[in-house]
Amino acid sequence: MSLRVDLVEGGRIAVRTLGVNRLRTVLTLSAIGIGVATLLAILGIIQGLNGAFARQLASLGTANLNIARRPYVVTGDWWRYRNRKQITLAQMQALAQQSQLATAVVPEVNEEGKELYAGDQSVSNVDLVGTLSDFQKIWGYEVPIGRFLTDADSDAERQVVVLGSDIAEGLFPGRSALGQSVRMDNRPYRVVGVLAKKGQILGQSMDLVAMIPFKTFLAVYGKRDFQIDVGLDDAKDLDRAEDEITGIMRRVRTVPPGEPDDFSVNRTQQLADTYQKLTSALYGVAVGVGLITLLVGGIGIMNIMLVSVRERTREIGLRRALGARRRTIVVQFLLEASLVSAVGGAIGTAIGLGAAKLVSLVTSLAAAVQPLTVLGGIGFAAMVGLFFGIWPAARAAALDPVEALRYE
Amino acid sequence: MLIKLEDIRRYYRVGTEEVHALNGVSFQLAKGEWVAIIGQSGSGKSTLMNVMGCLDTPTAGRYWLNGKDVSHMSDNELADIRNREIGFIFQTFQLLPRETALGNVELPLIYRGLGAKERRERARTALDQVGLSNRITHRPNELSGGQRQRVAIARALVTDPSLLLADEPTGNLDSATGQEIIGLFEQLHRAGHTICLVTHEPTLAARCPRAIRISDGVIVKDGPGPEVALDGRTERARVAAVT
Repeated sequence: MSLRVDLVEGGRIAVRTLGVNRLRTVLTLSAIGIGVATLLAILGIIQGLNGAFARQLASLGTANLNIARRPYVVTGDWWRYRNRKQITLAQMQALAQQSQLATAVVPEVNEEGKELYAGDQSVSNVDLVGTLSDFQKIWGYEVPIGRFLTDADSDAERQVVVLGSDIAEGLFPGRSALGQSVRMDNRPYRVVGVLAKKGQILGQSMDLVAMIPFKTFLAVYGKRDFQIDVGLDDAKDLDRAEDEITGIMRRVRTVPPGEPDDFSVNRTQQLADTYQKLTSALYGVAVGVGLITLLVGGIGIMNIMLVSVRERTREIGLRRALGARRRTIVVQFLLEASLVSAVGGAIGTAIGLGAAKLVSLVTSLAAAVQPLTVLGGIGFAAMVGLFFGIWPAARAAALDPVEALRYE
Repeated sequence: MLIKLEDIRRYYRVGTEEVHALNGVSFQLAKGEWVAIIGQSGSGKSTLMNVMGCLDTPTAGRYWLNGKDVSHMSDNELADIRNREIGFIFQTFQLLPRETALGNVELPLIYRGLGAKERRERARTALDQVGLSNRITHRPNELSGGQRQRVAIARALVTDPSLLLADEPTGNLDSATGQEIIGLFEQLHRAGHTICLVTHEPTLAARCPRAIRISDGVIVKDGPGPEVALDGRTERARVAAVT
């Protein structure tokens, strides 16, 4: 007898059995459904988070480098970086002159935790940046309202500021910030531009930032530790540019040959690496939990299939007596197990996607689900059923027809 | 000869002990014969029936069924032989409770790989043969005991097998219904079917043209039904039993 007949007949029996034993079907369905739902909800949230992070990272641009005393992400011996020499304006100017690959070089000075006021409104925990006009080009900032800082602002040490969107909304709710006056450290600044919203990176808002001209910053806050930001034409030049810049910086900072660099050349990519390092362990645990749930569901299926085989021992004996081969019996029970799992998987997929969607609505976590995940969820559930159906099916096929017919 | 058994032996190992369920059984059965196999429980008649039905293979000896030596066939080959050559009728009917009469009768044809239309047609004809053409959509629990056994007989007939193998077919029926079923067997015998009926009831075996008495795994008597079945009784009792 052909395998096709086995499959058609096995499928027919499977569908019928599921319809007859409703309570058992529902229990089995929920066992596998909960597993798939858990796994898919977790995967959906992970995909969402990853997608959001990738978008945020892309908003920073990729054809740029940052030269600072410390790497972007400090792990372990933070004190090593504290004693490094400061980066000076002269070093920046040398870099700008000598680099072939850099298309823009700007200084950057920072103060954290600033508080800004306008009327009776205030916004705290603001990142203050002092820089020049090319900063906008290097980091891909968009200024939909007003304009960015100019080098003339810096040369004249003008008291002007470009605000991140969160600050603008916080200080001037419901009205335009442009041309308004804000106060910071008891000095007035005139708002000349508002940045487009950038969102968060690694949980840090990119919109709580205020930018003032470089020389204005120096005049107000004195000489500070510089960073240098470098823009390139093409992200493909990053490796070559890093080599070139490292060479120039070692020379101007007189690092003896053989000594390690006393500065860091940073890339946006480092943030992505850190993100992956931070999240992969967490994702692993979450997916593991989902898999364990599915494993429990699979064992539930196996249990129910074993009961089903025992209950239908005489039926198996009869089918064997009437000419069913062992393979026919195996196919019948495997189909039954995978069908119930696939249906459970489909229901679980719907619930899981719903849960992921709910999470993204209720919390700020973004959930995204790719269509492939849906098919994968159903297919994976069927595979689980198939796998955990093997033993019961093998036991059914191994029954001696004579014994099986006599079974009470 | 349709069936030829030659020194069939079947030994089981139960714990450390070897049980000789069949200890050298030989006989032949011609096409169209109706034979009863009679014996006490534990005599080996069930083992003999299992071997004849290709549900079990002999430890030693040879068994030809319809010209084929089936004594050393593989599990798959035996499944196909059961499907084509044997029509089983069980004491407990062995109907699938969720299938209709028609569905139950169709079952062996599914394993033969026939299409739905032909299956249905042949199943209808078989149910008609046993007088149940007006019950085809009933499920077993909607049928009386006698009707259930008729469905089972239709299921055995539907594949047009060489041998109908009936194991205590009246054992679960009241005597009147049992008589009806035996009447049906008589009809099938007249129509040319080869029937082997396994029973422990002498009165039933006495209705068969031929009977084989088996005891302790060997044939102790083989002859006309009434003679073998009512062995040792008076002539008057024999006549009373048969009539």
